[in-house]
Amino acid sequence: MTGHAEARTPETNKVRAIVRACRLISRMNRLRPDVTRSENLYYQMLSDYFTRLLDARNNGDFIAAHTVFFPAELLYAMDLVPMHTETTTWMTSLFTGECSDLLEAGSALGLASEICTPHRGLAGAFSLGAVPRPDVMLWSNMVCDNTAKSGELIMELAHCPGFFIDHPFKDSPEEKQYLVGELEDMVVFLEEHSGRKMNWDRLSEIVARMDRQVQLTREVNELRKSVPSPFGSRRFLELVTMDYLFPGQPAAIEYLETLKQELSDMVAQGKGAVARERFRLMSLFIPPMYLTGFLEKVSQEFGAVSVVEPFFTFWGEGRLDPAHPLESVAQKSYMLPEMRMYGPLDDRALDAITSCAREYRIDGAIYYADVGCRHTCATIKLFKDTLSEVDVPVLTLDCDVVDPTLTSQDEIREKLERFFELLEDR
Amino acid sequence: MREGTQTSKTRLPALERLREINRAFPDAEQLRELKRSGGRIFGWLCTYTPEEVIHAAGILPVRIVGYPQETDLDDGTAYLYVNSCSFSRSCFQLAIRGQYDFLDGVVGGSTCDGVRRLFDLWRHYMDTPFYHVLNIPRKYTEKAHRLYYDEVLKFKAHLEDWLGQGISDDSLLDSVHLYNESRRLLRELYDLRRVDAPAVTGAETLEVMNASFRMPKETFNQWLQELLSEIKLSVRAHANRVRVMVVGSVLTNADFIRSIEEVGGLVVADELCTGTRYWGDPVVLDGKTPLLEAISRRYLGNFPCARMYPSDERFNRIIQTAHDFRVDGVISQNIRYCVPYCHDLPLLTQRLKAEGKPTLALDVEYGTAGSGQIRTRVQAFLEMLEARKR
Repeated sequence: MTGHAEARTPETNKVRAIVRACRLISRMNRLRPDVTRSENLYYQMLSDYFTRLLDARNNGDFIAAHTVFFPAELLYAMDLVPMHTETTTWMTSLFTGECSDLLEAGSALGLASEICTPHRGLAGAFSLGAVPRPDVMLWSNMVCDNTAKSGELIMELAHCPGFFIDHPFKDSPEEKQYLVGELEDMVVFLEEHSGRKMNWDRLSEIVARMDRQVQLTREVNELRKSVPSPFGSRRFLELVTMDYLFPGQPAAIEYLETLKQELSDMVAQGKGAVARERFRLMSLFIPPMYLTGFLEKVSQEFGAVSVVEPFFTFWGEGRLDPAHPLESVAQKSYMLPEMRMYGPLDDRALDAITSCAREYRIDGAIYYADVGCRHTCATIKLFKDTLSEVDVPVLTLDCDVVDPTLTSQDEIREKLERFFELLEDR
Repeated sequence: MREGTQTSKTRLPALERLREINRAFPDAEQLRELKRSGGRIFGWLCTYTPEEVIHAAGILPVRIVGYPQETDLDDGTAYLYVNSCSFSRSCFQLAIRGQYDFLDGVVGGSTCDGVRRLFDLWRHYMDTPFYHVLNIPRKYTEKAHRLYYDEVLKFKAHLEDWLGQGISDDSLLDSVHLYNESRRLLRELYDLRRVDAPAVTGAETLEVMNASFRMPKETFNQWLQELLSEIKLSVRAHANRVRVMVVGSVLTNADFIRSIEEVGGLVVADELCTGTRYWGDPVVLDGKTPLLEAISRRYLGNFPCARMYPSDERFNRIIQTAHDFRVDGVISQNIRYCVPYCHDLPLLTQRLKAEGKPTLALDVEYGTAGSGQIRTRVQAFLEMLEARKR
């Protein structure tokens, strides 16, 4: 099963497009005095990540494609080149405004329209040869059926072997040990296929930095509690990307330390991310990538700022121990903000949103109801009911995270305006 | 035999009794009677739930399903949103409207997004006295089997704790024998369709299956034995049909199968969790493996759902079944937003094609009777298969 468009589509065109966009933004940012150093670092990191991927074949590197919420620490420790598959679809949408060619190619493979667009798009990307062919495909069932089921088709399309991590549903000691066993098996798999050995000392260093990275993210979150909040809504993706693409990497530490300092300075000066903060928002799930700029304008116009994302930036409790690196990598997956959505949806998830609502002094919440994301949307009523107990209204915005054809900007703007009016009236 | 003609040599009284169970469920008199006499009933959400453990505790396990036909799901959608599969929404709507209030417990699992969210919301909004959710590994490795054994041990312990009494090995063994007997009889029923002119249709078989998880196995086994005897004594024969296998999402509406059989097909095999995957493999008692481990191994290693990895295990068993029952083609019916099956479709279609088995892929909603456009597409598919046979 292969695509037929390889001749007319350069093999790495999507990745190249992302690199070009990042470089262009970096150049433009140099002319803007208001752009912070952390933002410049972020775009440099993205550019470096995707450039490394672009150059991997020529450099004789081993490419390990992997799905979201995957322990890429292990790949860095083995000096393999990671390729975060969903982020590639996201970034394509973010930087090029759409990814219809990838979605169409995914549909042409026989993938139903109900399969979420990042996964349909990434199958399409492999079918078109629009991303580099990986040497291995790695995936897990974190955090939904789409991630659990996406790997085998990609193995077929990319003609590469693969490894599936079976992530336990709950967090008993037996299940945690099972996950460690899965990671051990994957290391053996990677050593066999890459010819490279796991560098356990390097993994310990990465785990130590990852622990610091989590701590720094928590400190950034603390600063976001300030009124006005110093961190702009559109930059939420930066925090998410730090873990997705750069877990335990020195660049991530530098970015987060820089960001923390910048936010501390702003808090000290009483400066906020928006000129006049009126509405403090909780974001439930991911805003559409292609609307990042538009949402930022609306945010500035109405003085609305997202100050917390319980399922994306709000880490669970726990520390990582470099003396037990593999166990720590497993432990990290249980601390991931998204993990609250994966296991049994009990008081942990519900308490997280109510405590966030109180601690961050939330006026309202926006639920980005991504039509392809079933396991999240099924919580909309439950979360609305839960947040109503702490007097926080919720706006549900039907959308798709990468496909702009589902909802129009006008429609979203109208809904947001009405929601802000409601908040104003309160 | 013409469809709909019932003579003394074609009537199946035992089937009528089983149909009556289905007609009333979940508001069934025999369930009400059981409750009145102090009995307990648990609902389970997925075929990975080890029913024997519930049964051995003296509790009647019944499968939670949705409405028998496609219907408006306003309440289900209000709670689970429009992009949850219609099976989950249908089940939840029945629950929220009080149709499952008789349940003393609900057992779920981490099987798929639809079912785990159905369980989450059930636990939050309903007042069922007992809840348990099982972590069900997605692999068949030895480590996965050990983990699932541990999970089943915990489930048993939780149930014992709730009941305030233990579940003895003798009880468990009796339950295993009872359920294995049921599986053996269902295999016998399925094997009737291996022949050229089967005496039983796919729709009738699904009706039997539906009853199998809605009533006490003791009675069901007895009735099924009677049905098998009636079939053997009958002069029924469904000849000159295109032999079809149905695969994909959960399916309980026998009218969907009937609609295929009304336009020239005969569903001779399936890969449904309400069909073959329910009775699939027996619990193997080898005298060495602890009883509960034998149960857990059966459930994890049974004919797999699309959720499992590697998918080849599912594909290979579908292909083997297709060959065993000499099917001409395969109809894949996927409920919208049933993602595991949607993901498998491209690779499964490819594998079946290589085996000379064409596939018709249908996007459906749970409960569909297969009318309208679906019927037209099925008819065209069957005509194509018929033409290939000539």
